[in-house]
Amino acid sequence: MKLEHYKFPFHVILHPFDGFWDMKYEGKGKARVALIILAIFVLNIVLQRQFAGFLVNFNDPRELNSLDDIQFTVLPFFLFCVANWSITTLMEGEGKFKEIVMVTGYALLPLALINLPLTFISRFMTMEETSFYYLLNSFAVIWFFYLLFVGIMTVHQYTATRTIVTLLLSVIAMGIVVFLGSLMISMGMQIYYFVLNIYRELIFRM
Amino acid sequence: MKFIRILLMMMVISLITSVVVVPVSAQTPYEAYTYNYYRDSVPLPAPYLPDRFVLGNDLGVGNFKDPNDMYVTEDGFIYILDSGNSRIVILDSDWKVIRIISTFDNAGSSDTFKNPGGIFVTEEKMIYVADTDNNRIIVLTNEGELVKIVEKPQSDILASNFTFNPSKVAVDKANRIFVVARGVYEGLMQFDEKGSFIGYVGTINVTQSFADKIWLRLATDAQRERMQLYIPTEFASVDIDAKGFVYSTNVDMNSETPIKRLNPSGQDVLKRFGYYPVMGDVRFRAFGNNSGPSKLTDIKVIGGGMYTVLDSYRGRLFTYNDEGDLLYAFGGRGTQLGLFNTPVAVEMVGDKLVVLDRGKNSIIVYTPTLFGNSVHSATSLHYDGNGADAVEQWREVLRMNSNYDFAYLGIGKSLLMEKKNKEAMEYFKLGIHRQYYTIAFKRYRREVMQEHFGTFMTTMLTLVIVFVSLRLVSRWRLRRNENRETRAL
Repeated sequence: MKLEHYKFPFHVILHPFDGFWDMKYEGKGKARVALIILAIFVLNIVLQRQFAGFLVNFNDPRELNSLDDIQFTVLPFFLFCVANWSITTLMEGEGKFKEIVMVTGYALLPLALINLPLTFISRFMTMEETSFYYLLNSFAVIWFFYLLFVGIMTVHQYTATRTIVTLLLSVIAMGIVVFLGSLMISMGMQIYYFVLNIYRELIFRM
Repeated sequence: MKFIRILLMMMVISLITSVVVVPVSAQTPYEAYTYNYYRDSVPLPAPYLPDRFVLGNDLGVGNFKDPNDMYVTEDGFIYILDSGNSRIVILDSDWKVIRIISTFDNAGSSDTFKNPGGIFVTEEKMIYVADTDNNRIIVLTNEGELVKIVEKPQSDILASNFTFNPSKVAVDKANRIFVVARGVYEGLMQFDEKGSFIGYVGTINVTQSFADKIWLRLATDAQRERMQLYIPTEFASVDIDAKGFVYSTNVDMNSETPIKRLNPSGQDVLKRFGYYPVMGDVRFRAFGNNSGPSKLTDIKVIGGGMYTVLDSYRGRLFTYNDEGDLLYAFGGRGTQLGLFNTPVAVEMVGDKLVVLDRGKNSIIVYTPTLFGNSVHSATSLHYDGNGADAVEQWREVLRMNSNYDFAYLGIGKSLLMEKKNKEAMEYFKLGIHRQYYTIAFKRYRREVMQEHFGTFMTTMLTLVIVFVSLRLVSRWRLRRNENRETRAL
């Protein structure tokens, strides 16, 4: 991979309209880069929950679990991509699944950039200064949402209203996916135990 | 057959012996606890062990009948208001009966109490009795001579059909009388030393929940008329501390401030700096069996800024320090020694805690454990501003129970006062108290910065000089090369 692949995300977050256009039509984006950004973001979340300063860290240390943190960031990421893809396919969106993944991944870059230094600085903050911590954090989050909005709009060639509607529908679709998923799992468990019980019954009787 | 009989015999014998060999350790029938930062109830070593219970028969005065209140003076004299028998039993601190007052001389005729609800004894040993069903307060000398009677007050602010049913009474150093009266929602009734009504203090504010407000908005006028009035709850008990502040409790299911500390002008000045509201249990079931908040029916100021409140609903005792931290809670309902049926009053005899149980017609005596004593003395030392000694006591407490957050906080506060900021930070982190932590941290950070200011500035200056000179050198080189090139041309 060339150096410019790593430089491109920075161009995207500063010039989103330009950047996402280039990503779609000039083929400048790389799914691998998006996944690397996601990995950095997950790592940041894990570090932040564990090592953020005492004054801003309200996590119960008995319940910190890095595997959970990974699970609760990576799964929603792909859940959103799948949900958005399902919705936009029905709503005449032009984006491919790979492009949605890239947009979402590249949009995460501000969060991935700001969280780690912030975690470090938060350890040297007093109570009055923690408002800067929250300010920068929410700034990164707003940036992320802005990039996601612009990215989805560009990739699917939507109008602004249409983008907002599809984003809201994606959230609903995410809920449906989770609901169906848990339904499947619980039914799968029922079937598994049914078969297991029959097997045990046979074993005991033979 | 014979073999089976022997076997049976042996089984019976082994059963009997196993019953006899029960471990004889000092077990309490209750579990003491406090709430930590995460709202878990953390078990504690018992602060008090049940010692014994005292019946009227044990004292040789016949059994009590529905006793309603009890008071213990500073020098350890015990006054039991034996309401069912309409008498006051006075004991010394060794539980020897001194006197029984069942009748008193009222203007030539013999007079008695009728279901009295509360008793208070001043420093001059004047006995104040809230004679509930006779609608009066009776003031007696320690010998049982009548001093005065406070009757139903005459005042413009009282309704004409007002009946005066005093249930609890307390008296401050200026002999002002504070009365909890049944059916009075305006606050505590206050009388001056001559017994004339001054006014109310400590009015409880009525709070309407959001759902109530919506219902009121939606209801028609006819429905609204039939609705319950939003009136505040009555007070349940009063006590007075050494500084003359009135402590009171009231039973209110919706309030987070059932305990109040009233200053002379009637404002609530109780400190509530703890993790949770000063209301007894903070974790309880919302519905079903044993649900709902504590019903705090008695309060006792026990010195060192601490006060103990009695929850008659679950039969528990809660002790708070002056900042509103729950030091410990213990007790329960049941028939074993140390558990209650209907506890009505809590008092201290020396370092012993005594609880009057109306349902059991007895007094339960608790002796403090090493843990309880250490917590008390550490809290009082801290309250008196004696930080260094308090730290030693807190360390003793931690040795017995390393899960005790207040001990870490106590040590941290003392260290903060001694300007040992870095150590204080550690202790505040352990006690999870962010307000104090940030104070310690701010000081520590300033210290470090001052200490290393010289080094920091030197490094910065050196870096700047190096950077500037490098730039100069490179520019000079560039110019020289250009010069050479021009010359070469």
